[in-house]
Amino acid sequence: MSLKTLVGISLDEAPASPEAVARLLKAAKAQIADAKATNISAETRFGAAYSAIRMLADVALNANGYRTLTNRPGHHQTAIQTLPLTIGLPAQTVQILDSLRKQRHVTEYSGDLVPESAVLECVTQALALQTVLRAWLKTNRPNLL
Amino acid sequence: MEATSTNPASLLFPASYRRRVLCLLLLHPERALHVREIARLTGTTAGTLNKELARLHAAGLLTRESVGNQVRYAADRASPIYAELAGILRKTIGLADVLADALAPSAPTLSVALVFGSVARGSETARSDVDVLLIGSLTFGDAVQLLYPAQATVGREINPMVFSAEEWRTRLKAKDPFAREVLAKPKIFLIGNEDELENLGRHQPR
Repeated sequence: MSLKTLVGISLDEAPASPEAVARLLKAAKAQIADAKATNISAETRFGAAYSAIRMLADVALNANGYRTLTNRPGHHQTAIQTLPLTIGLPAQTVQILDSLRKQRHVTEYSGDLVPESAVLECVTQALALQTVLRAWLKTNRPNLL
Repeated sequence: MEATSTNPASLLFPASYRRRVLCLLLLHPERALHVREIARLTGTTAGTLNKELARLHAAGLLTRESVGNQVRYAADRASPIYAELAGILRKTIGLADVLADALAPSAPTLSVALVFGSVARGSETARSDVDVLLIGSLTFGDAVQLLYPAQATVGREINPMVFSAEEWRTRLKAKDPFAREVLAKPKIFLIGNEDELENLGRHQPR
């Protein structure tokens, strides 16, 4: 599978935009900061950290000249599962991110409380992805930073 | 609780082809598959499988349907022993053993591990996930790394819910609906048992 083969199925071509990258990186950073706050609920913190992961995955796509087709179901899944193709993220890390996506889906619709373990993992993974992505951009797309 | 040579299901169903076919079809009763698909999914050969499928059909455990020039087999849910047989497979080689083996490397960090939700109730559909509750000191990431590879074997997505013993106790005290539902509804234990689960809620940590 390559990114190109997903065009029209789950991806669309979109020129890389330094403005979009800067906006999303800034928003992701703010979401991560919110996720670390201790005076808000686990559910809100989880949601914020998950949003950051999704935004960072969107940056990775945009830096490669793509965006998800947001009118198709599963665009979160697409952004996360293409991370090995966009920035070379290891498959094992993507499995964890994908399971967090699933966890969010389950709790969002059931109204169940989010376990602390999922919140911790989500914040840890958001921070790690932010670091990896920024390093990747610096090496591979310095013009976008 | 590892899968060993004294596993009750291996003892009761000594023919490995029969065991694999029953696990595949009875635990995914919505699937009607032709011989080659069954061979591929169970890692068996079509020749020997044909005979086995014919026997299981003759015994009333499988339905047989011709679609064009293909013959498709599926679990016969109308069989009077379907629910019991599927239950035995689910609690042993078809699901619980696979998950218990996957969790084995981290077993010392777990007080209780169990399957809850539709699969544990035997009311799963084609899209149902396997919901697994883990109480112990492992991280969510650890749980995913352990269980992710088992998804291919059980043919379903596995959704772990990981709690520390302390968080679980707090939830029980707060009468959290999720925790209460898990306690009240059918479960398949992978590590620990009903008593240990109850004790977790009762005692204070050391």
